[in-house]
Amino acid sequence: MEILWIVILAGYAICVAQSVFALTAKRPVMHRASLTALGIALGAHTVWLVIKGIRANRCPLVGTEEMSAFLSWSLAVFYLVASRWYRAAALKAFVFPIVLALATIAAISPDSQSAPPPANQPVQAILLPIHVGLILLSYAAFFITFGAGLMYIIQERELKHKRLGTIFYRLPSLDTCDAIGSRSMAIGFVLLTVGILAGLWFTHLRYGVYWQGGPLEIFSVATWVIYLLLIQARVNAGWGGRAGALASIVSFLIVVCSLVGVRYLGHA
Amino acid sequence: MNIVLVGLSHKTAPLEMRERLAFNEERLRDALGELVDREALEEGLIVSTCNRVELLASTPDGADRGLGRLTEFLCGFHRLEPGSLNGHLYRHSDSDAIKHVFRVASSLDSMVVGESQILGQVKDAYQAAVEAGTIGRVLSQLMNRAINVAKRIRTETGVAQNPVSISSVAVELARKIFNDLSDKTVLLVGAGDTGELAARSLIEEGTGKLLVTNRSPERAEVIAGKFGGATVGFDAFYEVLPSADIVICSTGASDYVIRVQQAKNSLRSRKRGPVLFIDISVPRNIDPSIAELENAFLFDIDDLESIVENNLTERLREAKAAEEIVEAEVHQFIKQLRSLDIGPAVEEVKEMLSQMAASEFKRNRKRLGGLSPDQENAIQEVLLPSLVNKLSHPIILHLRNAARDREPSELNEELRKMLRID
Repeated sequence: MEILWIVILAGYAICVAQSVFALTAKRPVMHRASLTALGIALGAHTVWLVIKGIRANRCPLVGTEEMSAFLSWSLAVFYLVASRWYRAAALKAFVFPIVLALATIAAISPDSQSAPPPANQPVQAILLPIHVGLILLSYAAFFITFGAGLMYIIQERELKHKRLGTIFYRLPSLDTCDAIGSRSMAIGFVLLTVGILAGLWFTHLRYGVYWQGGPLEIFSVATWVIYLLLIQARVNAGWGGRAGALASIVSFLIVVCSLVGVRYLGHA
Repeated sequence: MNIVLVGLSHKTAPLEMRERLAFNEERLRDALGELVDREALEEGLIVSTCNRVELLASTPDGADRGLGRLTEFLCGFHRLEPGSLNGHLYRHSDSDAIKHVFRVASSLDSMVVGESQILGQVKDAYQAAVEAGTIGRVLSQLMNRAINVAKRIRTETGVAQNPVSISSVAVELARKIFNDLSDKTVLLVGAGDTGELAARSLIEEGTGKLLVTNRSPERAEVIAGKFGGATVGFDAFYEVLPSADIVICSTGASDYVIRVQQAKNSLRSRKRGPVLFIDISVPRNIDPSIAELENAFLFDIDDLESIVENNLTERLREAKAAEEIVEAEVHQFIKQLRSLDIGPAVEEVKEMLSQMAASEFKRNRKRLGGLSPDQENAIQEVLLPSLVNKLSHPIILHLRNAARDREPSELNEELRKMLRID
């Protein structure tokens, strides 16, 4: 499995280096090599998750190692989808550093020893991974929102300063950044909602109550409320553009805090 | 086989002279037919644009004769005195000609380096010559390679990347703010030429509605009519300001035509969506403090010109890299051409026949009996070489003719089989 991590991390590292460099480079830089590296890394990453799941006889969503691995995998996949939909290859430079960081955390984390509490019924056994998986997927979507928000702010700055450097030509249009941001936020919100509901249902089935007040629960619901406010603001107050971008960036910090909080305070 | 090129461009001749020497479409076919007489010039191509007129040909006779013939033809066709073009014409042969062709196709010789029109014009000229039947092996190889070099330079260097005219900068700005231009409205205030040009570029790029307003309604009608837009009264255009996504201002007014408060109100009632203000007037017609409003982007003529200048400098820098690519490609192409030369094959034939003759002589020496040194000399130095020449002459003639149309590698192959060379 260690070999897989080396392949994965090397591949993502190449992607990060190439995409960041390409943002300001005058000539096209190793685009195809980076694409190949991404393909190989993502393939290896998928293999790792599958093997892990088979070995542990459950979804690989328990513990820091597995959650980080799954989160970085989802983020890489979401990037591929977003960049196809919107022709925004520059997004790679903003998203893959996070992918690499999360993958590194997964690579250096110890094996997830803890198994989830034994499920009493088959429904519970499915609900828990759905709950965790959906919440992680929503965080991946919010990371995309973060990347799009950063791109928007940089592009807007280029326009306001009227200098139009190389990065101006590499980044997509403001409208596109905004569209990626709002769509990923909407998708993330839906995933988060369903994930929380799955969690509530699981807790109810397992423990008889809907709410136990554990760290993951609190952080997820807090995140959910914040994004609800953000979405409301976008729709009602016409927050598009810069305000929306700033909001996206703030939301990233929230997600990170959630993850860190859950990591260190344990989870229900 | 030599490649020769004669021509003049915006760098060497004034517009009137270029116009005088131009070949228009109808006469091009005839001109090509006249140019390629199969004696002095075997293949020919004519490129005639508003910035250059060039004649390219391949000649079996030596570069000087070819160049002379081209110059003769150019003067003759346009009924000019033979010496009248001196000082304006450039003449290139072989590697210089190849380099020139590559450079022109890649837009390195154009008025604006990196422009995209010239490649299409070169392709058209090539197509016309193909249809006129004046393209053979050499020029077809050369032109196809030139087109590939041009494409390579476009993708591998930044020579054609960033916009270098006010209009194209305006278009780029619009595309980087708005993703989809088809539902965006352009408001043109005033009737200046640059403003109209910018509006035209945006419309060609695919913007939606065009609104034109001017102090003189007739002028507004004229411009609106040209592009299929609508006019708005000059006193009333503030009312349509909120619906305008792109505002181009180009009046002769000496004071601000669009002020901060008007822009603020307009932005507020728009709800969402940024506005691109382009102020091409001098003195400025749009209050500069509008630039500080959120969702408003303002570019005045100085901003646009400095962007153009930066990009031009960038292009010139990239052009250096492009020139290096051209050099390398010229070297490679010449090597390729040489390998296709049948000269070596001819030498081989002669060599082989000479050796056959020499070895037969040696083998049958005894039968000849005693020979004086003079006789022996006469046989080896006169008879045998003369025989070899006579025998190889029809073969070589055939080779030369065949090389015009067929791949020399094929010919070499056939030759080997024919003469049983291992």
